[in-house]
Amino acid sequence: MVEVKLTVNDQEEAVFVDARDSLSDLLREKLQLTGMHVGCDHGACGACTVHLDGTPVRSCIVLAARCDGSKVRTIEGTRNDAMMDIVRRHFHEKHALQCGFCTPGMLMMSIDIISRYGVPSENQVRSELSGQICRCTGYMGIVAAIQAAAREINGNGDN
Amino acid sequence: MLRKEDRRHLAGASTFVADLRLPRMRDIAFVRSPAAHGCIVSIEKPTGRENSVFTLEDLQPLNPISGGPEIATFRNATYPPLADEKVLFVGQTIAMCIGTNRASAEDLAADVIVEIDELAAVVDAIDALTDEAPLLHEDWPDNSFIDATITEGDIAAVRDAPVKIRRQLKMNRQATNPLETRGVVAYQDHRLDELVVYSSTQGPHVMRHGLALALGLPEHKIRVVAPDVGGGFGGKNRLMPEEIAVAALAMKVDHPVRWIEDRNEHLVASIQAREHHYDLTLYSTAEGRVLGIEGSVHVDAGAFALWPSGPFMETGMAARNLPGSYTIEHLHIRTHTVATNKAPIGPYRGVARPGACFAIERMIDELADELGCCPVEIRRRNLVQPTMMPYRTAGGLRLDNGDYPKALAHALEMIDLPKLRERQRKGEPDGRKLGVGFAVYTEQSGHGTLEWVKRKSRVVPGFESATIRMLPDGTINLLVGIQSHGQGLETSLSQIAAQELGVDPSSILVRHGDTGLSPQGFGTFASRSIVFSGGAVAKASRALATKIKAIGAQLLQVPAADVTLRDGAVQSSSGQIPIADIARAANIRPELLPAGTAPGLEATETYEPPESGGVFSYGVHAVTLLSHPVTGVTEIIDYVIVEDCGTLINPMIVDGQIIGGVAQGIGTALYEELPYDENGQPTATTYGDYMIPCAPEIPNFRIKHMVTPAESTEFGVKGMGEGGAIAPPAAIANALNDAHRDCKAKFLVTPMTPRRVSDTVADALARENAE
Repeated sequence: MVEVKLTVNDQEEAVFVDARDSLSDLLREKLQLTGMHVGCDHGACGACTVHLDGTPVRSCIVLAARCDGSKVRTIEGTRNDAMMDIVRRHFHEKHALQCGFCTPGMLMMSIDIISRYGVPSENQVRSELSGQICRCTGYMGIVAAIQAAAREINGNGDN
Repeated sequence: MLRKEDRRHLAGASTFVADLRLPRMRDIAFVRSPAAHGCIVSIEKPTGRENSVFTLEDLQPLNPISGGPEIATFRNATYPPLADEKVLFVGQTIAMCIGTNRASAEDLAADVIVEIDELAAVVDAIDALTDEAPLLHEDWPDNSFIDATITEGDIAAVRDAPVKIRRQLKMNRQATNPLETRGVVAYQDHRLDELVVYSSTQGPHVMRHGLALALGLPEHKIRVVAPDVGGGFGGKNRLMPEEIAVAALAMKVDHPVRWIEDRNEHLVASIQAREHHYDLTLYSTAEGRVLGIEGSVHVDAGAFALWPSGPFMETGMAARNLPGSYTIEHLHIRTHTVATNKAPIGPYRGVARPGACFAIERMIDELADELGCCPVEIRRRNLVQPTMMPYRTAGGLRLDNGDYPKALAHALEMIDLPKLRERQRKGEPDGRKLGVGFAVYTEQSGHGTLEWVKRKSRVVPGFESATIRMLPDGTINLLVGIQSHGQGLETSLSQIAAQELGVDPSSILVRHGDTGLSPQGFGTFASRSIVFSGGAVAKASRALATKIKAIGAQLLQVPAADVTLRDGAVQSSSGQIPIADIARAANIRPELLPAGTAPGLEATETYEPPESGGVFSYGVHAVTLLSHPVTGVTEIIDYVIVEDCGTLINPMIVDGQIIGGVAQGIGTALYEELPYDENGQPTATTYGDYMIPCAPEIPNFRIKHMVTPAESTEFGVKGMGEGGAIAPPAAIANALNDAHRDCKAKFLVTPMTPRRVSDTVADALARENAE
């Protein structure tokens, strides 16, 4: 077992993990943060996306032991986030979710896309979502929601 | 109306099976067969860990349960929860191991030594029926579950038709791939004396029945709960061996047990789908009027028949849907439901119809090519006309109403075909080929008792039920037997109840997916929930409304016929009474009720639509794509959908179902395939090999709704959850055919991956050069 001290959603945590445990194991099984989901467990579907030191990662293929000293933000840490609330509202209005399983990972990816691009084009959004599988919606609502949220947050620039 | 379900999902606060946390819960890993076909010689448990490893013997007593239709000629093979004698596909469950977490359970599973005497594998459904093929089930005369012939009219009468076209087509095998894999948590609740089984399932009541049969338990001692379910698409609508094994194990140990399917398990051992082989001959007049279709359908059904329905429905539906939307009078199809050393097939969005639609719509375009005619014109000549409705197809389906030619005309208006033809003539600067393809489809939905009896189904999902209960403050619990796993039924069913009761949908809480709460139901599949459950909710709501109005009328001292329910009140010309006041009286202040009125505000109703053959949604897809002749990469540049599903309860949800279905259909058309090698080893075992379309591969869609209300259902609704997935393989293949028409490349096999397109074009060019 390895002790990992990290900050999760602004809370300091110290947990013992197996060397082989992933960050998704740590978050879901040790800290009971089950908001994000594990869809493939091999880094291909994006459902488990969280932010690690400010960057979106697929937590199922990040070793927990390498997160010592890191800051992690999960969907639970965005519940009072004004920017995420805007993204959430557009997901709601554009029917960007059906079963909801991919949604927390999608949202974490979405705010990262908006942060990096300001107001991304449709092609940029689609390209940035190439690692996020949604099996229900056909992506159209998701892409529209991200673009609409970006416009509301960052103005109407073409970027 | 926006969806009620969204809030919890957007907050990351939903509860899927894997999110449940129970004290002392342990994880399960299965030992699975590495061999496609073989006899188990021995199963050796690791020394000292025997108590944590379970084989079939350890789970006894269990009753073998049989899936498949109740037909004497259907050969049955019991699918054991854990294999003990033979293994019939790679991934079949053999033993289960308990660990403190999944990783330690997998460690233990890796130490279980299974000796298997391997036998030759059967991997091709057509070869499987030859005399040389090894037998999967030794007491069967061959590898066929059942052979049947679907026939209508007199095919011999049209065999000398002036135009005959024979083609072999194949729709390859897929996994259903909901993003949430399957999962089961089970434990004994000693207080309630029941076995609680949380399962990611589409139909908790039916699963409870199957579990009761398998475990030999009385049904009232089993509670099945489907919490949030992360998509199903058919893949969570059969009782699977893992569900039985985990439930049985929970009765043997004194702690909750949990199994969460991983993606590898999903791809090799969950419900698989499609894999249809068609060998068809189409007979037509010289003018392109199709007279008949003859040939065979082989469905590669895998090793076992899943409970309850087995694979036969797939084959029958494929054959019966071959005439599609056309006035084809003569049909003669031999069907073979074939056992192979692969995971069993089950339902997947569209069930059989994506294959049938692919086959008939490709054949129609082949006919157009043969006659040098426009594919649109050939369709016009053969489509069922609105004046012919209701129309009984040669497949025995009753197309209830609609205007198919108009749907085709709308699609044409939306794409501007002459302009696309002009662009096609000019050619693309980058050498890609532009193609336009059409497909027409129908979607049987909301079919009832007689239809399922005709299919010899063991479980006949001929009705749905709803209980509506008004609480003392006037808010409402609505309990239904369907299971919503993305379809938004918590929203649309509350809309229906709200309309009938004149209250706001926010005052209604829909509860589903729990046999401990809901009245008997069958779950959500076969595009049935809005028809069946919507009907049951409407009926129950009306029964409740009748009582509320009667009470209100008496209190207002007017005849019951003179009051209405609106804006949360009983309204009459002489005044109004809030429904909440009546709810309070009926529930906790009975002395305020009019004399002779029974207390309580609750109603339970069942509903079956009067037209047992179902109501048919239909539509036309028109695809424009660019195909690279060398790399084989396909880019969809426009996707138009014209569809008619009768009355729309929630247009946003309907569009979501269409778009999501089409996206899956694009997966079927271009990307998704579960291949097996000659030894029966599956070769797509991760998302590295199994391609699921992401946002860059899926285009925006343009949708036009036509609304022809169904005549037999409540509100005129028709089911439409699957239709989106039916037409895309056909429309896209026809567009590729159109793009490469000059070299006569034929696209007759799905998925049309870059490799397959590239090879098909190269072969066609080579043939052309040789000529």
